[in-house]
Amino acid sequence: MADVSLDFQFTSSVEQVWKALTDSDMLAQWIWKNDFTPVIGEKFQFRSEPNEWWDGIVNGEVLEVEEPHILSYTWASAGETTTITWTLKTGSDGMTHLHFEQTGFSEQTKATKGAIEGAKYSWTNFGEQLKKLIEA
Amino acid sequence: MSEDKQERDVYVAVADPTRRKLLHLLAEAGELPLYELTAEFQMGRTAVSKHLAILKEAGLVTVRKVGRETRYQINAAPLQEIKDWVSFYENFWIDKVSQLKKMLSEE
Repeated sequence: MADVSLDFQFTSSVEQVWKALTDSDMLAQWIWKNDFTPVIGEKFQFRSEPNEWWDGIVNGEVLEVEEPHILSYTWASAGETTTITWTLKTGSDGMTHLHFEQTGFSEQTKATKGAIEGAKYSWTNFGEQLKKLIEA
Repeated sequence: MSEDKQERDVYVAVADPTRRKLLHLLAEAGELPLYELTAEFQMGRTAVSKHLAILKEAGLVTVRKVGRETRYQINAAPLQEIKDWVSFYENFWIDKVSQLKKMLSEE
């Protein structure tokens, strides 16, 4: 399925960025209020202001914690369950490289993933084609 | 969430490799009759018709009758939703990380 994949660079150390990604109080400053703990299997909630389309609640469960390099959790909201993975590395430039991935959307999408493996066309190619079609 | 159902239909529609292949064939040819589409698969006309019906429900395929023939065309517009939805998440996280950078006094 179409995944979200993003890359960021920080001048802060890997440890500092890790803390910002895993400390509940710090997370509240850049995402939303939460009860996040970086422990595998722990469930958590992020709460945003609800609006008429969305209750403002994200439910998640911690999947992977490899301090200070890999953090992965589920991110379930508005009927979509996705997996978020943050990867941190110190680059040769001395910067902290933060990679973000969000994958796997909803039950249909999980089905898609299985389907893709056996499909003649990879999703990537399909996505490229869709882009052409959409932008045509 | 009135749009939600429509959106889901689009996802369901493209979740199947046969239906993705049908979209490819239609994207390449512009328009094809059912028998030509069926010829591309190891399944019968009825099965292909069912897949086409799902694509039609999602608004990804349009149909016109030419004499006794039913011809299918692709309509890519609903696919925009998939793209928009991914963009929504992209923008959300780009925005959040820029707040994170502010917090770390990097901006």
